[in-house]
Amino acid sequence: MNEERKVIKYDALVIGGGIAGGEAALNLANTGYKVLLVEKDRSLGGKMILLSKVFPTLDCSACITTPKVSEIARHQNITIFTESEVSDIVKKSENNFTAQITKKPRYVRVEDCTACQLCEKACPVSVRDEYQFGLIGRKAAFIPFSIANPKAAAIDIENCTLCGACEKVCPTHCIDFTMETEYYELHTKTVILATGFNLFDPLEIPRYGYGQYKNVITSMQMEREIAPTRPFNTILRPGDGKVPDKIAYVLCTGSRDATVGNPICSQICCMYSIKQAQLLMGALPMADVTIYYINIRSFGKGFEEFYQQAKGMGVNFVKGKIGKINEKEDGNLILTYEDINEGVVKEAEHDMVVLSVGAKSNPTNGKMFGQEKLKLDPFNFIAQDDLQGNPSKTNINGVFVAGTASAPMDIPDSILSAGSASSEAISYLIQHQEA
Amino acid sequence: MKERIGVYICHCGGNISDYVDVEKVRLAVENDEGVALARTTVFACSDSNQNDMVDDIKKYNLDGVIVASCSPKLHLVTFRNVTERGDLNKYTYVHTNIREQASWAHSDDKTGATEKAIRLVKAAIAKSRYAEPLYPNQFEAEKTIAVIGAGISGMKAAASLSDKNTNVILIEKENKVGGHVATWDSLIMSDEKGSELTNRIYTDLQKRKNVTILTNSEVISSKGSIGDFTLKIRKKAQQIGDPIETAEFKVGSVVVATGFDSYTPKEGEFGFSSYQNVITLPDFKHLIDSSSGKQLEYQGKKINNIAYIYCVGSRQSDGENTYCSRYCCTAVIHAANQAKKKFKNIYNFHFNRGIRTYGKQELLYAESLQQGDIYLQSFEDAPPQVYAENGKTKVKIKDILTKDKELEVEADLIVLVTGMVPRSDSSIGTILKLPKGRDKFFNEIHMKLRPVETVIDGITIAGTCQGPKNIMESVNSALSAAAKSYSYISKGILETEPIVANVDTDLCTWCEKCVEACPFDAIIQKEINGKLIAEINNSVCKGCGMCTPVCPPDAINLINYSSEEIMSMIDALA
Repeated sequence: MNEERKVIKYDALVIGGGIAGGEAALNLANTGYKVLLVEKDRSLGGKMILLSKVFPTLDCSACITTPKVSEIARHQNITIFTESEVSDIVKKSENNFTAQITKKPRYVRVEDCTACQLCEKACPVSVRDEYQFGLIGRKAAFIPFSIANPKAAAIDIENCTLCGACEKVCPTHCIDFTMETEYYELHTKTVILATGFNLFDPLEIPRYGYGQYKNVITSMQMEREIAPTRPFNTILRPGDGKVPDKIAYVLCTGSRDATVGNPICSQICCMYSIKQAQLLMGALPMADVTIYYINIRSFGKGFEEFYQQAKGMGVNFVKGKIGKINEKEDGNLILTYEDINEGVVKEAEHDMVVLSVGAKSNPTNGKMFGQEKLKLDPFNFIAQDDLQGNPSKTNINGVFVAGTASAPMDIPDSILSAGSASSEAISYLIQHQEA
Repeated sequence: MKERIGVYICHCGGNISDYVDVEKVRLAVENDEGVALARTTVFACSDSNQNDMVDDIKKYNLDGVIVASCSPKLHLVTFRNVTERGDLNKYTYVHTNIREQASWAHSDDKTGATEKAIRLVKAAIAKSRYAEPLYPNQFEAEKTIAVIGAGISGMKAAASLSDKNTNVILIEKENKVGGHVATWDSLIMSDEKGSELTNRIYTDLQKRKNVTILTNSEVISSKGSIGDFTLKIRKKAQQIGDPIETAEFKVGSVVVATGFDSYTPKEGEFGFSSYQNVITLPDFKHLIDSSSGKQLEYQGKKINNIAYIYCVGSRQSDGENTYCSRYCCTAVIHAANQAKKKFKNIYNFHFNRGIRTYGKQELLYAESLQQGDIYLQSFEDAPPQVYAENGKTKVKIKDILTKDKELEVEADLIVLVTGMVPRSDSSIGTILKLPKGRDKFFNEIHMKLRPVETVIDGITIAGTCQGPKNIMESVNSALSAAAKSYSYISKGILETEPIVANVDTDLCTWCEKCVEACPFDAIIQKEINGKLIAEINNSVCKGCGMCTPVCPPDAINLINYSSEEIMSMIDALA
């Protein structure tokens, strides 16, 4: 590559602007270190900012994430690059890393944008909204979501027809199609990897009919339907807009399943499904909610009590893994399963099915390093070099892992892991201080 | 008197506006005396609204700010900071809670919830009129940090603080360090033994000049607050007749890592103490670790069939411990796998209530199934039963797979898979005034986002004293707590809230009523011109207000909550 690379220097590089990366960046910044936080998406907040409420406290997720994100965004020691990717991290010596950063153009000058949404109204292009997990559409000139940070428009250049309608209506003239990709060479002393997880893609299990049956959705889609910033303002099944009254949850979709190459447990699905079930009971008092499970894993602080509470509210728990799903003409779904408690194969009809998809590793893990390679575990999560003695340590001294980049985990565990990684990074910076 | 107050009423994305008519609240207060501006907002805490508030303060020359939203525990600090960014003194900000106190409390009565919200906002406006600028108290923080408990969590926290060039006092009650982990042999997902792991960390700690390790030592009292704690430590007498030594240490912060106790089954619980061959999980781990040869034996008897009974002392529907102990499923499956590796003729029978080998630990469960361990799961209302017949101990269960058929296993050894319970000696919690949760473990400030901080500023909690955890989770928690404690003292200067009690020296008669009422020992006696009066130690006072109503001559006022302010709020509410 011949592009001009701008050289930048920070004490620490944090990759990933979700809750783990954000927490790690804040800890470092509050101790006085200059941090570069790199996020590949258009907003900070990762998956947590898109959730409805969190278990077992039922805190509104937006209410506890946005202030944190806001604190990160306005911290004087934190510089944020969104829509940016890191590659070729090279360790020159202790305390001395270089990395290449590619910052894609947003085609909107964020500092001038007032998020007035006039460009959204003017844009003639409609595509599926990835921040609502495809439940509704969005424009090609759009604000990612209402509590996004930075809250500014962005142009989805892949779908944009370059008609110029947005440019014409923008009152602050902040849309700029001449923006180009920027290239940086970063010099930093330590690196924290907080690259998060990917949701399991249920298309890998065709017998569940996701993508084919309209009323089979993922748990993340349901999460959006019950979030405060929900797309429909009520819970609907996508097939015909009917309010569902018999909802099924299929646990372990893509977890504990060697046939899809993921024999491990995703650790979060039992609890988020129980949470969603409780919220649905509140939102649709007449609806039946059934959770089909192998084992309920309510192991954390207050989790077992939360599970018992769901039972008490009338959520139906059925021990049995769903074998397959068929669609009826009216859009209802027939679930075939072995009812373990009764020892027979049964069928049940539901009008909406939620697949509780598991947490998989981020495929970019390990690809960001040049020369010395980052070690991964058999599931492509970042390997923990001293699992019991120093969980955030990777095989490269000075590179630490935070949150779900090393294994599936819930929010409190991610916060603890991020605390651990930033604590070790601070120690590393102090121990390798130039005299 | 404030004359240009800005009032912001938050929808909380439906959390409030689904039950409270926020527009009606706005209309009800916009013309109140002193209100210059009243707005509603979907998320007051969002970055964009915070920016709008800062702009409003400047543009409309506001002199007071009120946000009616969620609990001040969540966002008081957020909006104080917004106020400060608008170049107003942050203590002129007034917060009012119309979510927990109106919309959530009265979700069955929308009109009532709206009416209550209006009154709460009006009371806040009344208070805001009197709000005075205040300035935080500043003082220098002690640079040493105490870590209480030298198990895996405490030792890791100490090492981490030492790495950060901080002096550490590591206090351990027992005569040796390492806690539970030091007594364990093989660990999950590691080639290292528990004792090797703790030795590795201890050897490293001993080399460090800035770490003082006190074994046989207990904290017997604590005074002061963040930045300036004085811990009194008693060293146990080694031999009868030795003098008991006590010493005082000044520290800036405290990491509590006092760990857990293993649940001790009650007499007769699944045959415990009724039958000799019923043992607990820690006993079983020690038995496997210390046994060798071809045949496993317990008390001289050959062991082939082992029955494991899960959730003993955990997930109790009638007992005290309703929680899941998190580590035991994995720990016992690992121990059973080890037993089978060591002794070929072992048959494992797991009497469980649903296996919880979460995350990658699932692989241990898969290994156990592969090697032929038998898993029997009981119905929730019918736990397995242990009984003796013809000198043999047996376990009986209605397994969910066989529905109505009762199964019975003749077991040579019965292992009760006991969980974690809080320390029976919780004196440290009492001394430091740490709150406990429903499960009796120490409680964090916020379960999701602030898992190592406590409501007592300057005190963090690490490891299993906060709740059951495995080693990795404990170490993550310890390192997080170390970073948090370090952040309190690393800047040298500490700021504390200016909202403290204030004594009118003319009115005070030193009756000591306030001293009795103060839960923080913040009130001391002082002599002024021959007269004895009470004085408040500002760095210790929490502004809780306990002393104000008990004062007979009404000589104590709480700054920011003067009688004037409170009375005007009550008038507005009535």
